[in-house]
Amino acid sequence: MYRSQHLALKYLTAAIALFGVMTLAGLMAAYYYINPDFLFGLLHFNITKILHIDTLVIWLLMGFIGAIYWFLPEEFGRELVGIWAAEILFYVFCAAVAVVAVVFIVVQYGSSDETALWFINQGRKYVEAPRWAAIGVVVVMLVFAFNVLGTAYATRRITGITAVLMIDLVPLILLYLDAFPAITNMSEDQFWWWWLVHLWVEATWEVLIGCIMAWTVMQLLGTSRRIVETWLYIEVALVLGTGILGLGHHYFWIGTPNYWLTIGGFFSALEPLPLLRMVIHAIYDAGTHHMKTTNRPAFYWMMAEAFGNFLGGGVWGFMITLPQVNLYAHGTQWTVSHGHFAFWGAYACGVLSVIYLVVQKVRGLGHVNGALWKWSFAALNIGLIGMVGALLVSGFAQAFVERAIGGSTHEAFIAGQENRWFVEGMVTRLIFGLLFAAGYVALVWNLVTVGRRVPVLTAASEVK
Amino acid sequence: MSGLSLLETGLLLGLYVALGGSYGLVYAIAHLKGASILHGMSFILYALHGLVAIAIIVGTPLQVGWKGLVVVSSAAFLAIPPITWRFLRVTHETEAQG
Repeated sequence: MYRSQHLALKYLTAAIALFGVMTLAGLMAAYYYINPDFLFGLLHFNITKILHIDTLVIWLLMGFIGAIYWFLPEEFGRELVGIWAAEILFYVFCAAVAVVAVVFIVVQYGSSDETALWFINQGRKYVEAPRWAAIGVVVVMLVFAFNVLGTAYATRRITGITAVLMIDLVPLILLYLDAFPAITNMSEDQFWWWWLVHLWVEATWEVLIGCIMAWTVMQLLGTSRRIVETWLYIEVALVLGTGILGLGHHYFWIGTPNYWLTIGGFFSALEPLPLLRMVIHAIYDAGTHHMKTTNRPAFYWMMAEAFGNFLGGGVWGFMITLPQVNLYAHGTQWTVSHGHFAFWGAYACGVLSVIYLVVQKVRGLGHVNGALWKWSFAALNIGLIGMVGALLVSGFAQAFVERAIGGSTHEAFIAGQENRWFVEGMVTRLIFGLLFAAGYVALVWNLVTVGRRVPVLTAASEVK
Repeated sequence: MSGLSLLETGLLLGLYVALGGSYGLVYAIAHLKGASILHGMSFILYALHGLVAIAIIVGTPLQVGWKGLVVVSSAAFLAIPPITWRFLRVTHETEAQG
């Protein structure tokens, strides 16, 4: 194994650990809705929510970085240039995440001054990490880019997938710089902030996961490079074609000109179409291989990615993307429902697929199967779908009672929060959240033990 | 938009994409299995998708432009599965021969 693949294992392990923190923080956030007195005076709801969302971003990012460090040396046929720097930065990255989490939990918030911005919280949703840590993320990404570009230069070899990856690294890093400005005009601030949030998620991350899934399909199903790269180009073109200007659906109500209603609505309404193409591709791959593979969990998580992306991004997104509906739905649990489903389908399932693939290679397993991964797969997916359904019901109640009938007044907000449908939706969400957490435990147990108990059983049967 | 028409419109839009996707899914399975009954079922799903599109056009307060987009999207939903399937088959067959 290459050193970068050892590093990949560390990144993927850290990703799974942070997935657990995200799940725990999510459960706590869900419980606050049922019992608002929970941890009153000790830990505020907003901090739990920050932990939930920021760990989501970080575990997926670590999953992507880990997957790329795993595949790249095989792609280039050599160790990555400057891997020593990446190894050091992994520990710096983990330590920074831990310090930021402790500051969030213990200090929580500071005054509205430069000190708080640098050391406690930047105050920008989803990128709350204080400025020193945000600079650290940029350094990690720059070293990551150096590993990729430096190795490509050293080998003088660029494949279609690595070319797409290298081009994607430019906006991936540049857009993150958008996390830094502290613009006092709210509309202007939101305008640029969405460049980071939307274009990372619906453009650069889509391309990253596209590259990762291209390598996964090649290794898992033995699909030829030419086919995979052809489809990667098409996918990237379609996703970027609809996703970049789909940014406009975040500009509907932040004080931008009216033309964003048309641009945002039009391009984001087209977003389900490339996702439909992915579903058909998944069916083709599954069918031509007669659902046979040496790594069933990796294969099923890959399938879950295609379907989850279509349902979460396509179906759930289309419900709320046209401005006339979005006027009432934005910022309600309806959008939270879409966010959960889309992130799960588009990214989490893909990262889990890669992790099972890596486990198979590391442990030298001929086949990966068994019962436990099926339990975790079922519990995680049923738990997620249950949460999404419950959030949708709560969101309907909010949009109906608070927005459409109540006209978004403070009184209407309270009426929405107290509405029976809203409250029951929140309780149901917590119940399915617990199922999801059980699925996470089963997943971790399976990843730790898969392939390790089989030799013992085989040895025992040989003794008999 | 009234509260009720908001929920109706949101649900119809979701159902519209879900049925378009179901058509694509069953279309692909039908071609994989060579089963004509599934092929017929895929077009029934597309017909249902079309009915939902009509319901959106006739029964929701969306502006004309968005209703036009729904019509155009329905044409794309119809075309994407066969085009994708054909392209997938051709690229795989070409690769196998090469």
